[in-house]
Amino acid sequence: MKPLRLPTIQALGTALTAVADRTGASNAEFYVKAGCSLRIEIDPWRPADASPSAPEDWRLHVGRIEERGWALRAGGNHAALFIADSGPLPAPGGWRRLNRHSLRAGSLRLPTPCPRKASLPHPAGNDLPNDESEALGRDLIRDVVERTRDELPGSRLVRARLEDGASASVLANSAGVTGRTAVRLATVHLEFVVERNATRGACSLYRAAGNPKDLDAAALAAEVADRLTLATATPTSFLPSSEIAVAPSLASSLLALLGPLFRGRDGWERLQRLSPGDSLGPPDLQVLDDGALEGGWIRTPVDDEGVPTRAVALIRGGEPAEPLLSWEDDGWSGFSASGCRRRSGWRSPPEISHSHLYINGGPDPADAIRSGIRHGCYLLDRAPDGRSQVTFPRSDNGGEASFEIDATGFVVEHDRILGAIPRARLSGSVRQLFRGIRAVGDDLRFLPAPGAVGSPTLLLTGLQLEPVAQD
Amino acid sequence: METTATNRGPDELLATDVSTLTDALARLPVHPGQHAEAFFERLETVELLPGGTRDRLRLRREQGLCVRLIEAGASRLASTDAISGYTFASCCDRVTGAAGSIGPAPRIRVGRWPPLRMAEIERAERQLEKAVNRRRVGFPMEVTVRRHRRQVQVIRGQVSAPSQFEEYFSLHVKTPWGVWGGLLPSLADEDLDPVATCLVDRLRSRNLPEHADTPRVIVLGPCAAAVMLHEVVAHTLEADTLALTGAPESVVGLKLGEVHLDVLDDPRLAPNGCGRSSDDEGTTVIARWLLRRGRVRQPLADLDWAGRYQRLIPGAARRANRHLLPGPRTTHLELLPGDLPETELFQEAAGGLYIGEFESGALNPFDGGCVLRAPCARRIGASGPVDFVGPVEIRSRTVDLLAAVTAVGDRPLAAGAGWCAKGGSLLPVWARSPSVRLEGLA
Repeated sequence: MKPLRLPTIQALGTALTAVADRTGASNAEFYVKAGCSLRIEIDPWRPADASPSAPEDWRLHVGRIEERGWALRAGGNHAALFIADSGPLPAPGGWRRLNRHSLRAGSLRLPTPCPRKASLPHPAGNDLPNDESEALGRDLIRDVVERTRDELPGSRLVRARLEDGASASVLANSAGVTGRTAVRLATVHLEFVVERNATRGACSLYRAAGNPKDLDAAALAAEVADRLTLATATPTSFLPSSEIAVAPSLASSLLALLGPLFRGRDGWERLQRLSPGDSLGPPDLQVLDDGALEGGWIRTPVDDEGVPTRAVALIRGGEPAEPLLSWEDDGWSGFSASGCRRRSGWRSPPEISHSHLYINGGPDPADAIRSGIRHGCYLLDRAPDGRSQVTFPRSDNGGEASFEIDATGFVVEHDRILGAIPRARLSGSVRQLFRGIRAVGDDLRFLPAPGAVGSPTLLLTGLQLEPVAQD
Repeated sequence: METTATNRGPDELLATDVSTLTDALARLPVHPGQHAEAFFERLETVELLPGGTRDRLRLRREQGLCVRLIEAGASRLASTDAISGYTFASCCDRVTGAAGSIGPAPRIRVGRWPPLRMAEIERAERQLEKAVNRRRVGFPMEVTVRRHRRQVQVIRGQVSAPSQFEEYFSLHVKTPWGVWGGLLPSLADEDLDPVATCLVDRLRSRNLPEHADTPRVIVLGPCAAAVMLHEVVAHTLEADTLALTGAPESVVGLKLGEVHLDVLDDPRLAPNGCGRSSDDEGTTVIARWLLRRGRVRQPLADLDWAGRYQRLIPGAARRANRHLLPGPRTTHLELLPGDLPETELFQEAAGGLYIGEFESGALNPFDGGCVLRAPCARRIGASGPVDFVGPVEIRSRTVDLLAAVTAVGDRPLAAGAGWCAKGGSLLPVWARSPSVRLEGLA
């Protein structure tokens, strides 16, 4: 694929001048993004009379996708405008359709240059998917399918999609803020089914890596086989809930649900209400968000408004430490802002969002946490199509934030598996979720959720776990 | 930005001689088993955020194309975010893997796009407030209004289908007790009125606990019936869903419900501004009986699935955008009315539930399990719906839900329009349905 070409900062500056001249806007910002990706979709359909589909019979859909678009924000104290369009940025003479009436009631403020320089090197942005990526992706899926069949005979691939993409962006605003980012990300989405013991079970797996070469077929196959085995297992009637270990995939889903607790002023107030005059969790609980995380999938020197990213300790030593604040709230309650306004694409304006949100790995080996359970459960992942929600009550009705998530896992006693849990509902108050953390494992792992959310294995107590009838 | 008020629709998407494009596409296949297709798309979304928001108005426009080379069910697709002769030629080169695959880039011009027209969008929030106030209540609402316009044109082989234009609206209303979202064909009072009813129902049922039991009788209003049919008839009878568990054509003739169930998918009958004469593969759409007198007549299929099974008829292909593959989906679902007056649906139903709307539904394609969630419902008394109850969740199987439909009302309404998110692709879906009565759900 061709290198991603973006306009120069100088070209953006010329366009900013043209827009300001035509609209009279005191503030303006251009954001331009380009991306290319290779998508491989496997359609394992077969006629009913044929044998189970072998990889050589798969119908392959290969997509080579090029995306490009820009967004303009312009305005001042009493008027504002947001326009986004696909394709290249118009030439300086292409803004003739804008005039003073284009701005509508509203306001726009933009960040000013930050004295702190972005610490990451300038991204190259030319590490793109190529012909080799196509063969690599096909081989990866084939390998996963074969390994899963070896582990669990009778398992069948239903859908597979591998997407290997690269994107780059550039932005400039009228206050002099500029920024460039580049991201490379590969994702794989797999759906399998199996029929065992007269029960049909399905599982869906979505995983990501900074490069398709980092996706491990053996690990993916093991995860699929585990989930299919659980989906077709006979449920255990009694679910001991005094000690519940949650694997990184489920713990990450829980953390993703709690994202609003860490964002902005509202989040900070919610978080404070969870621990009035008391600690929130154990001393080894650390929750961070870091847009510049070393080795992170979406590591960028600046956010999508050009503000430098940094590590923000949201919970430190089991206590609320600082909220994720944008530049507009810099200095609120003595907290510093960080580059945390992200766009979901060129079509969207920036909004406060986490980048790499994670629970830092703790001192306890994950194996020791699992084997240390006297009589409890080890929950592996979210149950497919299950419930997953958190409820934050309004501040004026005095309720308590609560969560529920449908999960799948095992009943365990020390290192012994006593039974399977195809689907159970883990629920409780968010306060108890934090306070009940008894151990934090050392096996931190990230999942795409969106952004990157990570957690190690956690040992939880004081929550409810109830069986959920299968559909 | 233009602000001229006129309702004139757009010109054809391709305002150029399409024969140059069909000729170019004809050069792509290297043997008779291959064929090529080009898909052109233009989109516009105008979004007006709630009053008090800093930058209330957001305008998004985009256009692009994709070229697809298809062979024996497999395909190679190349897509881009601009419509021009150069990008068309570049996509052709990418699907063939050869430079200059179609020779010189053809000249492509796109037609005129309708003017922006902001007045109706700016009025909507106030109109909705008035509709709520007419019900003698008032509460804080944050209303986000969006107008969606989409125009597509498909060239397949030597045939260019006429370009298709859709214009519709979506509303997102945030209240202190929850969020309502849905699609509307227009922002006229008659379309905003049912939204106000839903919002007031939610006000009256706020803070009520979840309703635990499944009653003997459930009456579904037109909106709720449409969502149920979308999940248990339309999704179930999509060829790709059926193929997960067997041959899609094997279900033809299967009895799924009683004789009063006649369900039709006809994209031409979608509300004004949203009707389609051809699908996203350029195939002419048909009035497709999904269920005729309770039996499966014709599953939803696109060209790919119709090529695999001779009994399937194409014409139901839809794609979320140019970067994604088409798949068989419903566009406008219609449950034909029965002969029972609406009031009689409530006879001998005391103790049952009336559900006006479902906020979400999901189908498990492997076992036919279906989950429908309603934000609130009303208990049925001797004379019809009376007091409110909290959220209701119905978990059942497709066959059980359809078998439970014992009566169909005689007054169909346009209802239940919303976003279908199957496979992560957001598509607008429309429906028209009368109320239905369900009995005997476990």
